[in-house]
Amino acid sequence: MEVEIRNRPAFANLLVNLQPGDRIIAEADAMASMSSTVDMTTRMNGGLLRALARRFLGSESMFVNQFTTNSSGHIVLTQPFPGDIVCVELRGNTLFLQPGAFLACEPGVSLGLGFAGFRSWLSGEGLFRLKMSGSGRIWFGAYGAIFTREITDEYIVDSGHLVAYEPSISIRVGLAGGIFSSFFSGEGLITRVRGPGKIYMQSRSFDGLAAWTNAHLW
Amino acid sequence: MPWNVIKVDKMLDPNQQFRGGVFHHSIPDGRIGADIRISPSEIIAEPSAEALSVMDPSEIARMPRWVIPLSECQVDLGGASGRMVFCRNKERDLTIFCEERGFAAVLGDRSGGMLSEQLHLVKKRQAGENHRFRFWLTVGAVATLLLGVIGYYSVLAAARLAIAAVPISMDEKIGSMAMQTIEKEQKLAADHPATKFVTEIVDRLKPHAAIPEMNFKVIVIQSSEVNAFALPGGQMVVYTGLLKKAETGEQVAGVLAHEMSHATLRHGLQRVSQSLGIVAAIQFLIGDAGGLLALGSQAAQTSILTSYSRQSETEADLEGARMLHEAGLDPESISAFFDKLKKEDGDIPGVLVWVSSHPLHEQRIESIAKFKSTLAKKEYGPLDLDLDTVRKSLQ
Ligand SMILES: [Zn+2]
Repeated sequence: MEVEIRNRPAFANLLVNLQPGDRIIAEADAMASMSSTVDMTTRMNGGLLRALARRFLGSESMFVNQFTTNSSGHIVLTQPFPGDIVCVELRGNTLFLQPGAFLACEPGVSLGLGFAGFRSWLSGEGLFRLKMSGSGRIWFGAYGAIFTREITDEYIVDSGHLVAYEPSISIRVGLAGGIFSSFFSGEGLITRVRGPGKIYMQSRSFDGLAAWTNAHLW
Repeated sequence: MPWNVIKVDKMLDPNQQFRGGVFHHSIPDGRIGADIRISPSEIIAEPSAEALSVMDPSEIARMPRWVIPLSECQVDLGGASGRMVFCRNKERDLTIFCEERGFAAVLGDRSGGMLSEQLHLVKKRQAGENHRFRFWLTVGAVATLLLGVIGYYSVLAAARLAIAAVPISMDEKIGSMAMQTIEKEQKLAADHPATKFVTEIVDRLKPHAAIPEMNFKVIVIQSSEVNAFALPGGQMVVYTGLLKKAETGEQVAGVLAHEMSHATLRHGLQRVSQSLGIVAAIQFLIGDAGGLLALGSQAAQTSILTSYSRQSETEADLEGARMLHEAGLDPESISAFFDKLKKEDGDIPGVLVWVSSHPLHEQRIESIAKFKSTLAKKEYGPLDLDLDTVRKSLQ
């Protein structure tokens, strides 16, 4: 299965070329266009309860779509916000994904929703996270550009900017400065990550967008 | 055999495999999922079946197994769960990691207790960190709660003050917007006897309202619900169910006086500004109130505008009673309608909407009676409007 990430980095989308026997699983709203030779089946994402949990706790759709073809065809998959898309190949390892970042994966990858903990919640990374494990490629998107960084020691990320990280990464919440300077500088809470492992960060945060939009609405 | 002996036996299973992974620069992308065994002298990791399934044969042939002698292994704990065990070689360029339960125990056991000691130290450090985190989490939660409570009451107080500065035209705009969402197909015509009846009552009460120039309007909706409400700005809705249930015109006048008071006391706007304040507070605390709002907004739209706090209800009772008194009608007409509804036990409770949004409190009836006793004695006349004709027209 050939997958190309096009129009990077601002309006990235996936062009998936399917051959007979190929299968790709995508987030329910991701399909923008497809050949008439491609078959789409919708299935609930990992059973009703898990699907419900994902829908209500992880702000991810209850359903995923599965695309196959008998001859050949292509699909275009997009994400709802402007930004880059990256591809990561899992080889028996695991990656945690910010809910909402997931776009598509190969069938060997299993999706699960997990409790991320209060530390993650406090640092603006959400109370829940998607756990992607198994083998195969996954594609996920972010708002803005995506940076990756191999963390060996400790690193500091502004809250709301962490898109994905490996389970070997530990997350702690911290204040950017003292209590008052943190509150008034607008930096507020930061996320301290400790390796070893890789993190994926987005260059923009939704909180920032919300603040900017609110400031221009009123 | 005691259970702990069995446990030790199981831990000593030489073939026990753990699922984990390896970080090493020789691996494409630097990481791979691995199956891990612990021999009496070494930690051995090999690519997991899942990893092999996506590797091509030449890559598999090149892929070694990774080994760390127990004697030079340095352990650490960490990861997202805090339970991941990292084993590093002397050069610290190879890391074998595992999160499975039992791994640390077997590791400690095999190393003759040496690695358990290292792990124990790390755990102690972690416990200290967790302890501090929990302390600050508790401090934060208490402070947030305190701020929340203070904020809530400040919002309520500020809302009352702020309303006074908002022009009445704002009430009218909000009221009209809400009116558009109310079902209008069932609306009775302006020349229907029921509409003329309630309009006449409102016209008589109007001169005695706290804001006489308010643009009061009343419509009647065909519905079996026993209900009536006022929107901000003075638009009111009376359901035919209420007109059928009322025994006298005075009881209808009592309900209308009460509802007009909600409008003149601007309770709807208070509710809106309080709700906005609370939503803003939630937004501030949890960062995203969007989902919450979306859930509630449709259902809340009119109910926010037409259901009030107990304090507001008492205010509307007394203001309504004052208006009735000024208009020459008995203030206890409000209580009379409560009484009448209370006596009818045979009714389906779900239909009595006005009662459920106006919980029947003996206290309220009492406070109306008490208020009446403070008013100058006055002969209250009957309402010379014919409710019977109206009721017949609704059959
Ligand atoms: Zn009321």
